[in-house]
Amino acid sequence: MGRLVLVRRDQVLQGGQPLAFLIGIFSALLIGILLLAVSGHDALAVYERMFDASIGSSKAWSLTLNRAVPLGLAGLAVAVAGRMGLWNIGAEGQILAGAMMAAWVARIGESWPSPLLITVMLLAAVLGGALLGLGPAVARAQIGVNEIITTLMLNEVALRMLQWLIHGPWKDPESRGFPLAPILPEGARLPGLFQQAHWGAVIALLVIILFGLVASRTAWGYELRVAGSSGATALYAGISLKRKILTVLVLSGGIAGLAGGIELSGSSDRIVEGISGGYGFAGIIVAALALMRPSGVAAVALLFGAVQVGGLSIQTMGVSSSVSTILQALILFGAIGAGVFSRYSVKRVSKENQEVQ
Amino acid sequence: MITLLDMSSPTPPAVNLVDVWKRFPGVVANAGATLSVTEGTIHAVLGENGAGKSTLMNVLSGMYRPDSGEIQIKGQQFWFRSPADALAAGIGMVHQEFRLIPSFTVAENVVLGASERILRRSSIEAQVGDVANEFGLKIDPTRPVWQLSMGERQRVEILKSLWRNAQILILDEPTAVLTPSEANELGTVLREMANSGRSIIFISHKLHEVKEFCDEATVLRGGETVAASLLVKDTDTVKLAGLMVGSSPSTISRPTPQSQGTPLLTVSGIGALDDRFLPAIQDLNLTVHGGEIVGIAGVSGNGQREIAQVIAGLRPVTSGKIIINGEDLTNALPVERFRAGLGYVPEDRLGVGLAPRLNIIENAILRNYRNLRQGPLLAEERMRTYCEDIINRFGVRSGLLGDPIAGLSGGNLQRLLVGRELSGNPKVLVAAQPTRGLDVKGVKAIQDLLVAERSDGVAILLISEDLDELLTLSDRLLVMHEGMIVGEFDPTTAKRHDIGAAMAGEVAT
Repeated sequence: MGRLVLVRRDQVLQGGQPLAFLIGIFSALLIGILLLAVSGHDALAVYERMFDASIGSSKAWSLTLNRAVPLGLAGLAVAVAGRMGLWNIGAEGQILAGAMMAAWVARIGESWPSPLLITVMLLAAVLGGALLGLGPAVARAQIGVNEIITTLMLNEVALRMLQWLIHGPWKDPESRGFPLAPILPEGARLPGLFQQAHWGAVIALLVIILFGLVASRTAWGYELRVAGSSGATALYAGISLKRKILTVLVLSGGIAGLAGGIELSGSSDRIVEGISGGYGFAGIIVAALALMRPSGVAAVALLFGAVQVGGLSIQTMGVSSSVSTILQALILFGAIGAGVFSRYSVKRVSKENQEVQ
Repeated sequence: MITLLDMSSPTPPAVNLVDVWKRFPGVVANAGATLSVTEGTIHAVLGENGAGKSTLMNVLSGMYRPDSGEIQIKGQQFWFRSPADALAAGIGMVHQEFRLIPSFTVAENVVLGASERILRRSSIEAQVGDVANEFGLKIDPTRPVWQLSMGERQRVEILKSLWRNAQILILDEPTAVLTPSEANELGTVLREMANSGRSIIFISHKLHEVKEFCDEATVLRGGETVAASLLVKDTDTVKLAGLMVGSSPSTISRPTPQSQGTPLLTVSGIGALDDRFLPAIQDLNLTVHGGEIVGIAGVSGNGQREIAQVIAGLRPVTSGKIIINGEDLTNALPVERFRAGLGYVPEDRLGVGLAPRLNIIENAILRNYRNLRQGPLLAEERMRTYCEDIINRFGVRSGLLGDPIAGLSGGNLQRLLVGRELSGNPKVLVAAQPTRGLDVKGVKAIQDLLVAERSDGVAILLISEDLDELLTLSDRLLVMHEGMIVGEFDPTTAKRHDIGAAMAGEVAT
């Protein structure tokens, strides 16, 4: 008898990454056929709908892009902290904080020229997210409080705050009792790009590219890598760990806040309870699957967005939302999980040869 | 040396390891080591780092399989395939790093993995309490482990072995994490266990503890047993220290003495605390002049690690002054000291001196990246040139410069690290254990570099556990004991016996 183990390849398999990606998706779809057959659906028709709805037309692409934007920014927010070994689980709340700040600017700046209003809204959104990240950042840097707990708990704080606003001071008098904020003024809406897509996609892409460059090319990014690799080495090199933790967690919050501002100004037309849409938590998955790399974040977010749009579209065919969610998970897992095999190979180890160490 | 099992003896030794060999890639960790432990005694295993103690204990506790050699427990031959086999033969090991689950209670940690039945909490708590009381281990079985002090956690580890009915207990440097009073309590508990017929193997660097707690001692050096089962009460600490450091003839030629330069490193009245906030260094004074190597000898854990960190700026001082190249840098940041001309080769290569996940270039520029900037960007071309310069000058054999340093051998890692520190043309170099764990070629290369720097007028403080190295390279040799300099020797004329005495804390009069 033996057991299977993953052994790191000496060299990454040439062309392995795209091949693994295709094989992964293909196997996921194969397993999906079983799933759909069991739940009584025509798998091919379902797949065709998924494909059409997510990447089959320019309209489909625009919907996918609109989802990829908050996913990508939330993923980047988590990755920024993750590169230093910190976990920002609070992107969900930071998105809400960003959206609230942007909405507040839209209320007071209704009469401003649109480009100015949108710019200030997005800056306010960054500030909102950053402020929510500040508390955990200070607590972690100064006295070592675990940021996972604090950022997670602040999600709830931001959500309650938003609920209070839409049930109280910001409640739209014309909403017939529903807890909704008023619809944004026209000047506060991000201009369109094509079909449903808006300029948020361009902003998100620029932010991701900018961070990618900063992380890989600047002295600051280098210090971040050193600190992420070993805290003791960072101290030895004269890098202040406290300051790095502080900036990284605040920056992470700011990026998530920007996602909230863009979501409000681009996709949603008002503050509603579900405006964060779970993007903050999905961002953790995006960042993890992207191995904390900015370029990976963009690609994973796009795939994630497409799978979400496709998954939603098949629910109109009568596929239940749970089956659709399982299918989405399968595809994501297959597409990205299979990448492991370009870096590792599977070997069988017999019991006798196991070296205990 | 081989101890033959005397079949006529009525009680065979509790543990008898015969001619144990264990090789790792590039290192022979055990080269025919032996160990014989009399039942019901506390047996010290002594040796410097790298002497092969840990490997031998891992062989005995089933973690490693020896390449050859015999393991006899109470006269019966064993061949352990895993720690579970060793445990079944009655051998328990208390590791230096505790293996406990913080959120579990003492009792839960003790029985974890020892029973497959579902147990009642109250009954196991009572039973664990009984075992603890039997040996005078003061501990509340109902408390969660995260609330316990290090000393208490160690008692839980000991209880784990006792619970599994271990007759032979190995403790790996058990007092390293304890306060002096906790260490004394441990001594009492160990004596209690020995009196009940159990055999204790006590691994330590601290000679006074060996003298206080142990009945017999075996000394390892270079993977071999150099003294087996000495009766501790008939052996003084000076002799033990001498056995640990050895007396093999030196292999490299001494550098010619130089006329003394100006003092470049002056440390006066320094005090500092260790990681447990106990005094590690007290009122320490030393001066290193340009063009000389000052060696620091001592049994591990007598403040050598801390003094290096204090000078490098990685550990705060509680008193005193540090002057580097004429500047008072007592409280300066590590970078400021580097700019003032201090190079530092830390004891922990990977994890302090080098960042494991970064590539060779990124590690090469660690000290100097601030000067390789172009606006906010790092100048890639200059980074590469800077790195290539170090690699060529110091003979680092590397793969691609963009590869993580994890792929480099120990010797090449150290060349990269030492080379990086020297590339800043330091006035003062503090080197802590710079050749530990390297192969012969690597050791020679690093030692040659140190001697060359000395000839260039650099003031070098060399902290090492290898007395031969210190005697060969140093112009002056200082001996540390309990955080103080207790002796200064001229390496050309000093007697090993006197150095050993100073290391043991017995100042020659």
